[in-house]
Amino acid sequence: MSPIGLAEVFLERLENLGPEYNAVVTITKERAMEQAERAEAEIRGGKCRGPLHGIPYGAKDLLATSGGIPTTWGAAPFRNQTFDFDASVVTKLEEAGAVLASKLAMVEIAGGMGYRQPNASFTGPGKNPWDPNTWTGGSSSGSGAAVAAGLVPFAIGSETWGSILSPANNCGVAGLRPTYGRVSRFGAMALSWTLDKLGPLCLTADDCGLVLEAIAGPDPNDQTAADLEYTYDDGSKSPFKLAMLQGALEGCGEAIKENFENALKVLEGFATVEEIEFPDLPYEAVTRTILNGEAASAFDEFTEKGTARGLTAPECHYGPYARTAVLAKDYLKALRLRGVICRVVDEAMASFDAVVAPSRRSPASPIDQEFRRTVPGTARDTMGAVGNGAGLPSISVPNGFTPGGLPTGIQFMGRPYEENVIIAVAREYQSKSDWHLRHPKQLIPRE
Amino acid sequence: MVDESPKEAEFLFEMVRERYGDLLSAEELEEVRKGVQGIAKAAEALRSVKLENGTEPFSIFKPYKKGA
Repeated sequence: MSPIGLAEVFLERLENLGPEYNAVVTITKERAMEQAERAEAEIRGGKCRGPLHGIPYGAKDLLATSGGIPTTWGAAPFRNQTFDFDASVVTKLEEAGAVLASKLAMVEIAGGMGYRQPNASFTGPGKNPWDPNTWTGGSSSGSGAAVAAGLVPFAIGSETWGSILSPANNCGVAGLRPTYGRVSRFGAMALSWTLDKLGPLCLTADDCGLVLEAIAGPDPNDQTAADLEYTYDDGSKSPFKLAMLQGALEGCGEAIKENFENALKVLEGFATVEEIEFPDLPYEAVTRTILNGEAASAFDEFTEKGTARGLTAPECHYGPYARTAVLAKDYLKALRLRGVICRVVDEAMASFDAVVAPSRRSPASPIDQEFRRTVPGTARDTMGAVGNGAGLPSISVPNGFTPGGLPTGIQFMGRPYEENVIIAVAREYQSKSDWHLRHPKQLIPRE
Repeated sequence: MVDESPKEAEFLFEMVRERYGDLLSAEELEEVRKGVQGIAKAAEALRSVKLENGTEPFSIFKPYKKGA
């Protein structure tokens, strides 16, 4: 199919199906058709920019886009906000020939104001294509739903703590959180400067590698972007040596446990799995304190002016105020402990290709309930706290369904800059399972 | 170690209430109080880990000179 034909198909799906899932903020039709026409002319003229040339995609609506396209951050107070430049990720994808078809819905302020339930966006709660009565996950809600519903072949999301892996898990797609600094954050809404990462959500791990190659790399506009080029390597690397944290299944629902244990049996065909333990450190307190301290500063004016009152979720009206009580010495202690954590975790992971764990402890929660109520127990999120606090890459791919038909996921977390290794593990797992080939029934065209 | 976080949380909450109380309802302030308690609890956990004087924040400051 030609780039123009592809763009027309996906623009139509975005228009017709996007509203059913509250997945779309703005359909960028004019820009998409311009880019598709350019791609078609280039390809016909013998110029191929690579695997994304002419492929439509959607961008989480915290990525700045020029040309009068709004960038709303999912929040009513910013619904008319525009920028006169493109985020570096958007620029890099344009250089790769990809076609921007839509700005995708998200939880307001990327969840940074303390939301507790799905209805925390001015575009409405993210409805899961597997069951619209359940939540997509967040904060990259539209990115997860749009890929799962086939509204775009791939999407860009962001993660500060859980915002790529959560929608990947709930929507049954692949989601890659790259190493911190692997992808430039220039032009992306800042929630927490030292925790924010941008990454792809796709149908497969393989696709995540292709998209990462297009968006990764140095950027003079982002001083934290690593001075490292990234080339996706899709060669086989098995057998793998995997680790699993002691107590990794603590607090997980029954279906999550069962699907994870079944996935381990598949993994045993090409990997060893050994139980390990990270040293006893306050991982969650460190990452939480960094997030709170930085978000309090990033949204200082917003908080001072009481702008949060205009947000959708009632809990977001007061959410930003508690964190103004983070003391400077505690924020700095968290940054000092972060160094300790980076070193001990790297040492613990040094002889392994990845740490494997359930992507989330529960599947998608009901659309009208506080999601914390549906997570069993009070188990710690060590994988999330360590992974985000230490800036480690992780990829989530689907590993089964609950009896009610909701997807569940498995994640592979690696050492810094080892995206190729974790993608290879996930790719091998997907070559031996078919969960990623299943799609919501109502979205499969009838013969 | 004595858990100082409840007392500290109250002091910190009073600071928040003094500063932002007029922007929030009584119910919202109660929620903020719970949030501040969580922040004080996290701070307590951080402070329980002893670090050497030379353990620096894991971030790098570089002086800036245009073109250098």
